[in-house]
Amino acid sequence: MPPGFQGMIQNFAIGTELIYSFVIIACCLIIYFGTRELYSLTNYRGIKYFRQAFLFFAIAFFFRSFIKFLILLFNSENLFNIMHPVFAIATTLLFMYFSSLAIFYLFYSIAWKKYNKKWIVYALNLLALIISIVAIASNNILIYLILNLITILCAVILIIYAYSKKSKFKKISQLFIIYLLLLVFWTLNIIDLFIPNFLQPIQLLVYFISIGVFFAILYKVLTKIGSK
Amino acid sequence: MVKRNKLEIIKDILKIIQDSHGLIKITPLIRKSNLSSQGFYQYLDGLIYKKLVLKTDGHIKLTQKGTNYLERYSSIVGFIDEFGL
Repeated sequence: MPPGFQGMIQNFAIGTELIYSFVIIACCLIIYFGTRELYSLTNYRGIKYFRQAFLFFAIAFFFRSFIKFLILLFNSENLFNIMHPVFAIATTLLFMYFSSLAIFYLFYSIAWKKYNKKWIVYALNLLALIISIVAIASNNILIYLILNLITILCAVILIIYAYSKKSKFKKISQLFIIYLLLLVFWTLNIIDLFIPNFLQPIQLLVYFISIGVFFAILYKVLTKIGSK
Repeated sequence: MVKRNKLEIIKDILKIIQDSHGLIKITPLIRKSNLSSQGFYQYLDGLIYKKLVLKTDGHIKLTQKGTNYLERYSSIVGFIDEFGL
């Protein structure tokens, strides 16, 4: 492949990453800051966890784009070849920690009324940290994904069980579809980051649908907080 | 009778104050809020802490934040309901 053409592809990939990350981070921050007034008026815990989930998504996507940017710029699949191991571990750990935490908080924002214990929040933080450390120590991204998905599956079962007898269940189940889509594309984004060639043929499609899912949530938020 | 949730009770208390031109004595407020005395004072402490109302010389005054709460109440409830929070 001619070096000029390769450079063009690299620039296109970096450009795509920057635009993709910018759009997702912007969506998350608009949701976070857009709901600030509702939270400051009520101090309602459900709103608090929901907002924090999107703040953590924004932080996770920032670290994701940082890792991806370095990988593309230095044309290396291993972060340890690019930067000092301490920084490589810290960046990966922060990405994994905030990424897990975002998903955990999102599901807890639905479940908190039924499982209203303060220690659960600490447990979720600890769990996210342990999963991230185990994944980094084992150097296996599948362990990270499997542990997260097991935790989320347990959360989903508990939520379905808690709400199954309520009339609210229909509403919750509609919301579940969006959250499960978010979960699927969150998983694909992590695979895309750590196994870059795996999703290459459909990478743009994954990015477009991920943006679509975040836009759908943002649209729902804006229509609700905008209606007086 | 349907049991009111916390947000609804707060809205009702603030609405009573607003309907009294933003200032009301504690005794009629307790009576109109349909709460026990103990329950009412728990809510009142919360409202003062959140700066939705002010306590001055035996009167309760609605703050600008309290007025905002009433204006935004339907948005707050709609948002919580939409996202199952």
